[in-house]
Amino acid sequence: MTAIDFKRFFGKMAPSPSSPVRVMAKETAIVASHINLVYRNGGEEFNALQDVSLTVKSGEVHLLMGPSGSGKTTLLSILAGLLTPTSGQVHLLGEEITQFSRPRLAAFRLQHLGFIFQGFNLFPALTACENVEVAFHLKGTHQARRQAIELLDQVGLADRCNHRPQALSGGQKQRVAIARALAGNPQLIMADEPTAALDSQNGHAIIELLRSLAKTSGRTVLIVTHDPRILDVADRVTDLEDGKIVTKLTKAKPGQQ
Amino acid sequence: MASIARKNLFEDIPRFLVAQAGIMFAVSLVTIQLGILKGFSRSTAIVIDYARADLWVASKEMVAFELTSPLPADYINKSMTVTGVDRAEILLVRAGRWHGHDGKLSPARIFGFNPDGELFAGWRLSDGNLNDLKQPYTAIVASGVQKSLGLDETRIGSIAGLPVTIVGTAEDVQSNASSPFLFSSLETANTYGDAEINSSINCIRQASGDLDCTNSFKNRPLGQKNGDLAPPKPLSLSDPISYVLIRAKPGQDLPQLKQRLLSALPETQILTQAEIAAITRNYWEVRTGVGFILGLGATVGFIVGMVVVGQILYASVADHLREFGTLKAMGAANSVIYRIIIEQSLWMAILGYVPSMGICLTLGQWTQMTRGIMILIEPSTAAAVLLLTVVMCMGSAIFAVQKVTRLDPAIVFKA
Repeated sequence: MTAIDFKRFFGKMAPSPSSPVRVMAKETAIVASHINLVYRNGGEEFNALQDVSLTVKSGEVHLLMGPSGSGKTTLLSILAGLLTPTSGQVHLLGEEITQFSRPRLAAFRLQHLGFIFQGFNLFPALTACENVEVAFHLKGTHQARRQAIELLDQVGLADRCNHRPQALSGGQKQRVAIARALAGNPQLIMADEPTAALDSQNGHAIIELLRSLAKTSGRTVLIVTHDPRILDVADRVTDLEDGKIVTKLTKAKPGQQ
Repeated sequence: MASIARKNLFEDIPRFLVAQAGIMFAVSLVTIQLGILKGFSRSTAIVIDYARADLWVASKEMVAFELTSPLPADYINKSMTVTGVDRAEILLVRAGRWHGHDGKLSPARIFGFNPDGELFAGWRLSDGNLNDLKQPYTAIVASGVQKSLGLDETRIGSIAGLPVTIVGTAEDVQSNASSPFLFSSLETANTYGDAEINSSINCIRQASGDLDCTNSFKNRPLGQKNGDLAPPKPLSLSDPISYVLIRAKPGQDLPQLKQRLLSALPETQILTQAEIAAITRNYWEVRTGVGFILGLGATVGFIVGMVVVGQILYASVADHLREFGTLKAMGAANSVIYRIIIEQSLWMAILGYVPSMGICLTLGQWTQMTRGIMILIEPSTAAAVLLLTVVMCMGSAIFAVQKVTRLDPAIVFKA
């Protein structure tokens, strides 16, 4: 097994215990207030998000749904601190991240957020274990290899530790990505269309994994999706259309949408 | 220990090899251009470098080693009378036209010196012996020019109708800027130098009292056989010579000796070996423009290399943009990504440099052996090229880093 030298790059990234980004989990994990995002193209303005307000409680699985172009992923990017809104505020775990500088935002994401992407976004040159190790090393965690194997074991891929992404199926890749998102035990998981690139069987397996994650660990999970099968695991659903929230449903059940 | 940078590099071996070929091309281009420039510069005065004289007596009009006005041969005797001179030797520099055994014509530079001397012939002989030059009409040839002189196993040719028998080969002594070098005894070189053209002036006094003169030039007949030849005429004190090489007595103050020689030998300049070498190199590098052109070639090589490496690295970063975006989204600081890019560029530099240097060294040996052209890659040149390669790669990495700096981490959510 080849030990990857991420520590050389990431060893200094671990925040100290007194780091200002260290926050306590609150009753509400995400509070977005009056979010507006306006794109300007020449003289024209396009309102990608209009007065969006949203609250996600700690420990709940929250779905953002809506047709293509409704602004779901844009909202997710803002809530993750990857995109700055034109106006409005975002509080994550009690911190107003819209006031953060870019380096502080990056440090906050590193400590508290895990990401799952539609296209997996694994590093093709690295093995499954090394892909998970990256996250641990970014966080400055020791014994990254052992913990990476443990996480891969949790997602049922311990035997694929030394496989590169191209040797894995779509479902397996997404499970590696989920293991990576869980590295360092973040309080918030943000997933963008986690089943969109998967066939029905693999999609179902990922849904089950997300359900298990949410229910057993008490993490807050925010999922952008088109997939109605994920409604099974959701506590609440927010529907977006044309950059506006049109409905908010609580305790969604299959077929309720 | 593996690293992301190295793993990224070796992820796609064919792509890696193509990229490395580009870097090797750039490194080789710079190395060869620099090597040619340095080799050219060194070779123009290499004959001087091999000499073991403390001082050189040259004409006041001398502008370069091979471009000088004659001195009277009796300057050697005058030199010997100067206090502090231990030894003095004559050096002749003559031009000639070489007729090869194959009948082809080639210019030649003939150096005449005393085979028993101690101050001029410091070069290494791969075959033959300096004593062989005591035989009339013999010469030692610089290695690498045999082909341009049309020399075959018979090792004979002629200059101005006089035969030349090659009796040895001097290694690494040929100037890249000059005609093929031949080394002979003073007598033989002097005879070759004088024998090219016979001239005579016939004058008739006219009735008016004016003189009507006719100057006749006549080439010497070709193909004279050795048996028909008179031996080379000994050098007389009235013959023109090119330089007097001086060895000072131990403990002599050279500046003072220079002054004494200058007083004893009018219309001369007295130079140390380093000075005459520097004057000669400066002449070729600056006055002829050859150095400028070769320097320009090296500069262009560096710029082309920088562009090639920059494109390769930029393309590599573009290929991994989503991965870098993912790292940024996960919370990695820009410095983390910069270190990956810079390490990748350093790997590319080292892995491109090592084989390129091997190729260039081999090429340099081959050109020296086969054509007598010096591509000089000294340790300092190799170190400088390594530094340049690292600078090229790091400089190129700056462009790639800028791309990552501007990278929107929200790219990760774009399918």
